[in-house]
Amino acid sequence: MPKIEVVAENLYRTLGKRLTDSELESLLTAAKAELDGKDEEAGILKIELNDTNRPDLWSTAGLVRQLSGYLGRDVRCYDFFSTSEEVFETGERVVTVDPDLLDTRPYIVAFAVSGKAVDEPTLMDLIQTQEKLCWNYGRKRSAIAMGVYRSDLITYPVRYVAADPLKTSFIPLQSDRELNLVEVLDQTPKGQEFGHIVRDFTKYPFITDDNGKVLSFPPIINSAEVGAVQVGDNRLFIELTGTELKALIHTASIVACDLADDGFTIEPVKIIYPYDTEFGRELVIPYYFQSPAAVSMKDVCKLLGAALSPDEALAALRRMGVFGLHDSGSIYVTVPEYRNDFLHPVDIIEDIMIGHGMDRFEPEMPDFFTPGRLTAEEEFSRKAKEIMIGMGYQEMMYNYLGSARDFIHRMMVSSEGFIQVENPMSENYEYVRKSIIPSLLQSEAVSSNAVYPHRIFEIGKAAYADGSEPSGTSTKNYLAFLQAERGSGFNQIASQISGLLYYLSREYSLKDVQDSRFIPGRAAEVICAGKTAGIFGEVHPQVLENWGIQMPCSVCEIDLDLLL
Amino acid sequence: MDIDVRNLHPLEVKVLLHIGPGDEITAQSVIESLGFNIGQCNQAFSWLEAKGFLAEHSRKTRTYYELTELGSSYAEAGLPAERIFTLVRNQGPMTLPEAAGQLGISSKDAGSAYGQLAKMRVLGMDDEKRVTALSESLPDEVRTARDLLNKGTEGLIEEASLGEHERWIMHAISKKRGAAAAPFRTLERDEVIYTLTDLGKKFVQELVSREITGDEYGELTQEMLAKGTWKHQQFRSYNVHIPPARIIPGRRNPYNAYLTWVKDKLVSLGFEEFDGPLVETEFWNGDALFMPQFHSARDIHDVYYVKNPSHAAYIDQPYLDQVAAAHEHGWTTGSRGWGYAFDRNFTRRQVLRSQGTVLSAKTLPIAKVPSKYFGIVRCFRYDQVDATHGADFYQTEGIVLGEKVNLRTLLGLLKMFAEEVAGAQEVKYVPGYFPFTEPSIEVHIKHPKLGWFELGGSGIFRPEVSKSLGVDVPVLAWGLGIDRMALMHLGLNDLRELFTPDIERVRLRRGK
Repeated sequence: MPKIEVVAENLYRTLGKRLTDSELESLLTAAKAELDGKDEEAGILKIELNDTNRPDLWSTAGLVRQLSGYLGRDVRCYDFFSTSEEVFETGERVVTVDPDLLDTRPYIVAFAVSGKAVDEPTLMDLIQTQEKLCWNYGRKRSAIAMGVYRSDLITYPVRYVAADPLKTSFIPLQSDRELNLVEVLDQTPKGQEFGHIVRDFTKYPFITDDNGKVLSFPPIINSAEVGAVQVGDNRLFIELTGTELKALIHTASIVACDLADDGFTIEPVKIIYPYDTEFGRELVIPYYFQSPAAVSMKDVCKLLGAALSPDEALAALRRMGVFGLHDSGSIYVTVPEYRNDFLHPVDIIEDIMIGHGMDRFEPEMPDFFTPGRLTAEEEFSRKAKEIMIGMGYQEMMYNYLGSARDFIHRMMVSSEGFIQVENPMSENYEYVRKSIIPSLLQSEAVSSNAVYPHRIFEIGKAAYADGSEPSGTSTKNYLAFLQAERGSGFNQIASQISGLLYYLSREYSLKDVQDSRFIPGRAAEVICAGKTAGIFGEVHPQVLENWGIQMPCSVCEIDLDLLL
Repeated sequence: MDIDVRNLHPLEVKVLLHIGPGDEITAQSVIESLGFNIGQCNQAFSWLEAKGFLAEHSRKTRTYYELTELGSSYAEAGLPAERIFTLVRNQGPMTLPEAAGQLGISSKDAGSAYGQLAKMRVLGMDDEKRVTALSESLPDEVRTARDLLNKGTEGLIEEASLGEHERWIMHAISKKRGAAAAPFRTLERDEVIYTLTDLGKKFVQELVSREITGDEYGELTQEMLAKGTWKHQQFRSYNVHIPPARIIPGRRNPYNAYLTWVKDKLVSLGFEEFDGPLVETEFWNGDALFMPQFHSARDIHDVYYVKNPSHAAYIDQPYLDQVAAAHEHGWTTGSRGWGYAFDRNFTRRQVLRSQGTVLSAKTLPIAKVPSKYFGIVRCFRYDQVDATHGADFYQTEGIVLGEKVNLRTLLGLLKMFAEEVAGAQEVKYVPGYFPFTEPSIEVHIKHPKLGWFELGGSGIFRPEVSKSLGVDVPVLAWGLGIDRMALMHLGLNDLRELFTPDIERVRLRRGK
């Protein structure tokens, strides 16, 4: 979840009042945000935004917009959005698109701003917004990448082209020499970080102006000249490239609204596509594409469990910065330009809930009776636990993930049937356990200082590959126990199994078995109702040596699901 | 120090009763008069001295004589002088080498024995250089030495117990160093002499008045019961303050016991338990929860992918079609959907269950209305393992279905959890975000010990989730972060400790 840094002074100035930490924390809940920390010296607030569907909140301007609305300030109307009906003139501000981009990174959107010199806070917030949007919402630049340029240096039309990687070169930001596009990927840090997005393309996305002056190599890096925005610049050109046009338009809307709130004049830019898009071949940005959303008051009241009037609902929405009107039992809302998270009427209901205020909903207990019940497996395992404890066993609990060394090599078993993790974080957590026995032996291996005798057990899950299941795996509830003490062995464990199964009221028989984990001739399978329900015996000294265990151990493992 | 006379050990009692006021007592005297062995004697003295009943009065060096190996053989076979005299007396005169040969002693020993007796005119040499007896009997010196040898076989001989004459003889046949060549070794021992302290005198009176003799019974035996002998004696009192020996019982794991307590609590609140496999498909782990397949919402948790089998054979219908349609265009749920092409291959991808909500979703197709369900289930996250992240861990999750459940009943439910499970009185609700619920609520509680913290997340399942899985009524979904309370309950601050393999640590651990 994104975290942003906000200059406290700016926040409070824009909100029109200074808040204590607890007041701020309480207000932030209206944006599903939390105060994550403070840098008192620099006057910076660190704020975590929890709603991944609200990228408009990931900037100081966006957060302030939400919070000041919540405090009752009127929400501003943005008048620079073109729609399918009304399109703004853009004059010379045009971007053309190369048809060769269709199969790689087909979309670009852009707009310009002017009317104010860029100052330090604006620049910092713009860079932060760009990073958060492209990283979290743009999936690490693969879906959305954004560039900001010095508009004064640009001659329209801007050209978004598919460039030959070896024959195209420019001086990227933070470099002092010209590199071709392959060299940019190989030799610059950003190229190494994001190069995978374009490396497989035969031609790379590239942006120049009409004179061939380079803007950037998206989604990797800007040019050193046009792409180096500085404090004091008066006019900016902003473009976003990517794979999902709606997400690009939405992101451009967020940035445009943020800059408009900051005092800039938004200058629309026309994009001319050589291929069809869902909004046609000519698109003027910023562009408003959202449809009105609606919810019935009946659904609002039912889901919230409160008899809200339409006026109360509309007032609540207004505090959330959402305009709506009421007609014949339904609320119709105009989705704000910077939002795209009204998928279902319930999304409006949540805004009504937050806008109305959580404190105004009185908790109420469900008034229907339902019988509580444990699973049959849980009830059975509790019986088994009680018997094991009666026999002097200490219950243990273990992690289910482990290493090949512990689960396979030390146990001298084959890796067959083990569920292996494809992307392990470390080799220590690479396999799902197929048996509890290695866990018990691990205990013994680290517990030679604990007073003997050792009698430990666990009832827990184990899983293995199982071709007979549609899922391809089975998860079972196992009981396993280990006894480590001088002079104990097969006979003691056999007695305990006899006691256990007697009190669980299960008949059983034993069968000789050869198993590499046990001393030959001192292991047996437990057969219940004709099926193998478990195994026990004296652990093979080679296995003990593999674990570094110096005390003889006997173990048993039983499939409780099979006994059930 | 408070000492109860009844708690004295029988050895202590006997020593105290043996010693009179003003008496001086030593180990030797206790051994002789009470029949203690030296170990018992030393133990009794050290206990009594520690309690302040006896005090060291003085130390005295005593001299003892101990038979050497040579002395033992003399005691058995006789002294060389004794043997030569008897031989010559019985068999008549013979040369010295002849006598030594018959007796099996060295000519040197034979010579010195002859010399000793000749000096006292008991033996003499005739003309033919044969040894001849000149007297009827052995001299007193030899007889006395003989007696000392006999006495020496019974144990140490204390110098103080010998008469003047005996002492004089003993000096002649004993040595302090290089004693192997002499019949006796001279030993010097430091002996501590104790006397009763005033406190000791008080306790002696106490013993006497209570008629404690040190002969009281220790254990009650089967035999005493059978014969009724227990009726004739007192039983010794035990010191109830002695630290008891450690016991290692069979026992629940305290973390598991805590989870069991939570389960029982939820059952008592009318919840039915669910459970499920550790390996799940992307379908159940994310898609069914309306998390778009390639959206940043799936960044919320990174999952472990299963290498083999990498994909499930199929996903149950009609849920696959319904969920896919909900993602693509909303299906009939009233949603516009995410608007992308649902990947039906990716949805079969196997992962290790990363959130307990998976089982809530899986329960929907079989859920009763109305109903309440819960599960405490193991989940796996792609996280660096540290004090606050485990490779696998438990999540506590559940759902409540009903025609009439709503936001307010959700708040009521959370309040009930706060009070019943966390023991909190103050509850705060704040809007939250989860991809699968709308509205979403976080519940913060003021815990009696931990202060304000987030107890859990909750919400009402999005219709894209519940309708696609066959449920038309609202579904309250909730999850409780109980590990933090479990750690507090167990006095721990590291999640890894919950699954420690260390037997001793688990044995010592207990709940608060």
